[in-house]
Parts: sequence; structure tokens; C-alpha cells
Amino acid sequence: MDTPLREPTFLILTALAAAPLHGYGLISEVAALSDGRVTLRPGTLYGALDRLVDAGLVDVDREEVVDGRLRRYYRLSPEGEATLSAETERLRRNVAAATERLRNRATNPGTPRRAASTGTPRLAGGAA
Amino acid sequence: MSDLERRYLRLLRAYPADYRRSRGAEIIGTYLDLAAQGQRWPSPADAADLLRGGLRQRLRAAGAADLIPGVRLAALLAFPAAAVVAGTWATAETTAPTVDWVEFGPFATVGVACWVAWLLATVVAAVAPARWARVAVGLALAVTVAVVPVSALAGVPRPPLFVLLPQMVLGLLALALPTGGGWRLRLPPLAAAATAVASTAHGLGDWSYRWGDPGTALTTSAPAVLVVAMLIAVALVLQGDRRGLWSMLLLIAPVGLLALRPLAFLTGKTLDWNPQDTATFAVTAAAVVALNVTVLWVALTAGRAARNHLFRSANLPTAHTCPTCGSPR
Repeated sequence: MDTPLREPTFLILTALAAAPLHGYGLISEVAALSDGRVTLRPGTLYGALDRLVDAGLVDVDREEVVDGRLRRYYRLSPEGEATLSAETERLRRNVAAATERLRNRATNPGTPRRAASTGTPRLAGGAA
Repeated sequence: MSDLERRYLRLLRAYPADYRRSRGAEIIGTYLDLAAQGQRWPSPADAADLLRGGLRQRLRAAGAADLIPGVRLAALLAFPAAAVVAGTWATAETTAPTVDWVEFGPFATVGVACWVAWLLATVVAAVAPARWARVAVGLALAVTVAVVPVSALAGVPRPPLFVLLPQMVLGLLALALPTGGGWRLRLPPLAAAATAVASTAHGLGDWSYRWGDPGTALTTSAPAVLVVAMLIAVALVLQGDRRGLWSMLLLIAPVGLLALRPLAFLTGKTLDWNPQDTATFAVTAAAVVALNVTVLWVALTAGRAARNHLFRSANLPTAHTCPTCGSPR
């Protein structure tokens, strides 16, 4: 699976990190994690799950029939956990770098805003 | 079974039969979980989601999972190419060392409308939210198609078909532009159009259908598109990414149609037909499109065969075996 992960993929893996979930549970959890910004539809969700299962990041956990409807639960595989950890660490470093720069800007308001006019600052460890 | 479930099942036919058997109940169950109380019809967004998911799954089953990203990449190449063609022709329609040929107001032909629409589309793609780029490309494509009937109905001159046809095919591909992407993806069409306008205004405008030129500018742009597509494909393949190969296959028709004039000349020579005849152009264009369809079909078939071979050699379940125990169905 290519990294950096796309946001829906990142959120699906994050949702599964807590507990195995079925399709409806995953859609609700992804919406909650993103404050309603990312609303997956089932066709899109199952396409993403197919790719994640193929890539070995997600496994099928179990199946249940509730009210006559099939519910298949998915769980994060060890490889998925490693990928999510690496991606989280990459994002954390980027956030730390950006936070530090913004704090410096706030404490030195007279500093010329060179970075904004000359290009993107290099972020520590990130894909800047 | 409720009406809503029956309607979702009908839409589920967009998916391959094997996939429907293994995942259909799960997908429909999730839709029903999400449905509002008393809902009787799938929403248009649900229908589009199922149709899109079905197409994606059929491509995956055909061993062409890379085709959709390949189409997106081809769109990123087709749009700047269409912008160059539009910039060249728009300037040639308006630069006038002699005015003897003017027949459509201050312009040479009604084609100026579509070239301006394409130039506006490059501006929209550069400055407006990403989703508007597709709308602008769609409008430019519609204006390009409309030039032919408008010319016939209003009795005004239009650019030759060998000029309009490649623009239509490039426009069709450009409709698949990705909705994401930063300035690196949004600015190239505008930059390409501006470069074409500037270079044409500095004398290259003589290469135009306006002065009876047999499509020299188009013919030279064909290998340029091909070379750029090849370089990108090679760079991506070195990173284990096959998108570039699919985009090259998808660009066969646009590149062939850009070079339609010399190809029609070859057809005329081979079949002993007049290379200027409409029939010669039509046969050549049909052959180019047929070649593209055939090459794509062969690639998809080969991909499917390779995938089945992989399944057999790894003793994994295929479409004709039980997914659980692997025994033949």
C-alpha cells in the first residue's frame, strides 16, 4: 500500500485500531473520527476494504447475521498496525514541526515572513 | 423483501456475478442499515456509488485495477495537450496578416468559440475549486462538439474535422481529471495554453488551417504527447507503478487522431484513394480508434490470464472455485 495514506484509508485503519467493526460501524466511526467531514458510502468503503485486505493490512474477523442481514467484521492485521503506526509517527513529526514554527512566529511577531514568500519550509522527517 | 432492498439489488447488478455472491448481502445490508425510516428509493448518490463501485470491481476482476488511476493520469496529460491545441488555433483565428479570408466576424471560423472555451477551462482549472475544472472541461467539450452542427445550420465556416476530432477525444479523456491535486497539477494546462498563444503570436500562426496548412502543428504535437507519456510511464514503472503504461495505451487514439492528416495520406497511398477525401479520413480515424480498443482489450485479457495463472500456481481460489475450500464449483 502506497504511503502517505489517503485520509479515508488512514481513518478506516484508525477506526479498526480500537476494535473489529462491520461496514455500518466503520462508516459511523470514520464519520465520528473526522467530525463528519469524511462520509464513506458502502460502495466506496468495500472497494477500500478489498484493497486493504489484498494489501494484508486488514483481515476478516468474523461473520454474524443480525435481523436477517449479514454483518462481516474486519480487524486490523499486524501489518496494518505497523503501517498505521508509521503513518501516525510521520504525521506527528509534521505537526510538531508546524506547531514549533507557529509558536516562534507568535512570540516574535516582528520576524519578517520570509518563509511565506520564498517557499515551503523543510519539515523535520516529513515529505515536505 | 422490501421495495428498497429490491431496488438496491437491481443496482448491485453493476458488480460482477462472483463478487455479488460473495459480498452482495453484506453491501446491501450496509445500505439498509444506513437507510432512513420509510425510505423507498436509493438516493442518486447511492446509485452513483454502486455503479462506480461495480465498474471498479469489474476492472479489478479483469486484472485492470490500474486502469482507473491510468485514466486519471491520461487526463492530466490530455488536458495540457488540448490546451496547447486550443491556444494555437485561438491565436491563429485572430492573428491576421491578411484579412482576405475572414468569414466569421473578425475571426476565421466559428471554431474560435471552442478554442476560447478551452482557454477559459485552463483558467478555471488553475484558480477555481478542483471540482469546477471538470465542469469547465465538460462545457469546452460540449462547445467543441456543437461547432459542427452550428456551422452546418448557420452556414458559417468551421475548422476541419481533422482539427476538431482529436480535440474531442482529448476532451473526453480530460473529463477524468482528478478532483484533488495541488498547484503542480492545476497550473500546467494554463502554462501550456499561454506558451502556445505566445509562440503562435510570434509567427508560428502561419501553421494553421486558416491558411490551408495541412495540420503541421497538430502532427508535431502528436509525438510530443507520446514522448511525455512514455517518459512518465518509464519513471513510474521504475517505482513499481503501472499507471503510466495504462495511460500510454489510453493515449493511442488521441495521439493517432492528432496525426490524422499524415495517417490519412498513408491510407490514401495504400488503398489508392484520394488522401483529401472525407472517406479516407473517416476510415483512418476508425482504424485508429479500433486499434486503441483492440490494444486495450488485449492488455486486459493478458492481465486477466496472468492473474488466473498466479491464482492457479499459488493454489488460491479463483472465480470458479470455492473461496473457502478451493474445490471446483
